Amino acid sequence: MKVLLLIFMSCCLSAAVVQHGIYTSNNGTVNFRSEAPFELINATSKEMKGAVDISKNNFAFRIRIRSFEGFNSPLQREHFNENYMESEKYPEATFSGKIIETINYEQKGKYTIRAKGILTIHGVEQERIIKSEMELTGKSILISSSFTVLLSDHQIPIPRVVKEKLANEIKVDIKTELLPK
Amino acid sequence: MLHKTCFTALLMLAATLLHAQEIDLNKMLEEEQKKEDQKKTNYTEATFKTTRIINGHSIENIAPGIMDFKISHRFGTVNGGVYDLFGLDNASMRMGFDFGITPRFMVGVGRSTFQKQFDGFLKYKILRQSSGYKTMPISMAFITSAMVTTLKITDPSPYYFSNRLQFAHQLLIARKFSEGTSIQITPTLIHYNYVPLATDPNDLLAIGIGGRQKIWPRVSVNAEYYYLVPGYSFAGTTNSFSMGVDLETGGHVFQLHFTNSRGMTERTFITETTGKWSKGDIFFGFNISRVFSLKKKPKK
Repeated sequence: MKVLLLIFMSCCLSAAVVQHGIYTSNNGTVNFRSEAPFELINATSKEMKGAVDISKNNFAFRIRIRSFEGFNSPLQREHFNENYMESEKYPEATFSGKIIETINYEQKGKYTIRAKGILTIHGVEQERIIKSEMELTGKSILISSSFTVLLSDHQIPIPRVVKEKLANEIKVDIKTELLPK
Repeated sequence: MLHKTCFTALLMLAATLLHAQEIDLNKMLEEEQKKEDQKKTNYTEATFKTTRIINGHSIENIAPGIMDFKISHRFGTVNGGVYDLFGLDNASMRMGFDFGITPRFMVGVGRSTFQKQFDGFLKYKILRQSSGYKTMPISMAFITSAMVTTLKITDPSPYYFSNRLQFAHQLLIARKFSEGTSIQITPTLIHYNYVPLATDPNDLLAIGIGGRQKIWPRVSVNAEYYYLVPGYSFAGTTNSFSMGVDLETGGHVFQLHFTNSRGMTERTFITETTGKWSKGDIFFGFNISRVFSLKKKPKK
């Protein structure tokens, strides 16, 4: 009987862990910058969705391209959606995969981790390992990361006339706080 | 009793394992996104590339704080032959300044060398095509414009300034059917304060239809046709038909086209077109649009 009770309790516990194993957020910040010789372009979205499953050490992020605001003019934003990202055809960018390091999620503190997964932008998949900072506060998981995306990697051509105004290397910063679901 | 507890425990274990396996984070987020999108209204953007289809207005508005400087040229008729270098010797020009006031309201002024006209217009967007939470199948806008001809008067009749004025009122109804295809219907009323002949009507009616088909990300083909309602048009005039391409490069939009209308204001191209495509009375022309931001950028 004692053994059974133990099994029963462990089951309950594992159920609890699994249910509390997923941390999510739907208001993460994504900022990107293009630093070309003649023009600096900057845009931000605060609608990034994210999820981390600590029981399996995997993650997923997702952002609607049309949610980016900023730019140097409304026309530039329109061009971004219409001509470069083709937001009608490819409405979202995603990144999902696994965290390489094994993390003791019960231990509070800051960790530098490598997230390995598939980054999909403009419908083109790229396998990437992205270095990120992860902070466990006990209540939530804070994630921040800076990385670059090459437009040429995602088949986003730069017309010759804007070569001096648009960088091929786009700097991206993300920041989010994930809470238990 | 013992069996029952054991069974429950196993069932829970199985349920837990199943639960753990079923969660696909990507799918979970995708579903959340879908739910959210249903609560949001997405307004259709870029039904046309610029605020003109070719000669006539399109449903597009300029964003607040933005000035659109437009230079338009119409050369002479291509049937002038080599003597006129297929019309390139005779150019008429309009320059215009359009300003966005609010997201739905814009104004503009212009000057044409053709008949030495000044013109101005007010444009208000009544409906915006949208999907999602609020669904609206079409966009609709109203435009009212006034034109003044400042040619020297040779007519011996008494002079009134009001005789120089004409007005155009247009309802623009447009729909972007897909990523690349947009159609606009434009019922138009044009009023002349003064017409040369007693038999000429003062109020003229026309229905315009225009469309855009994107062929590459930065190139689209446009066409525009204005049908004059019989009985409400001048004698000897013909329907205006234009077709051309829009080329976009950064802050510029170039529109190159062929048209049988020489004028670029509503009354001149809708109601005073005399050129016939069949006779080669075709004018080559272009519009160049360049946008400037009048607002200061917020400092970062």
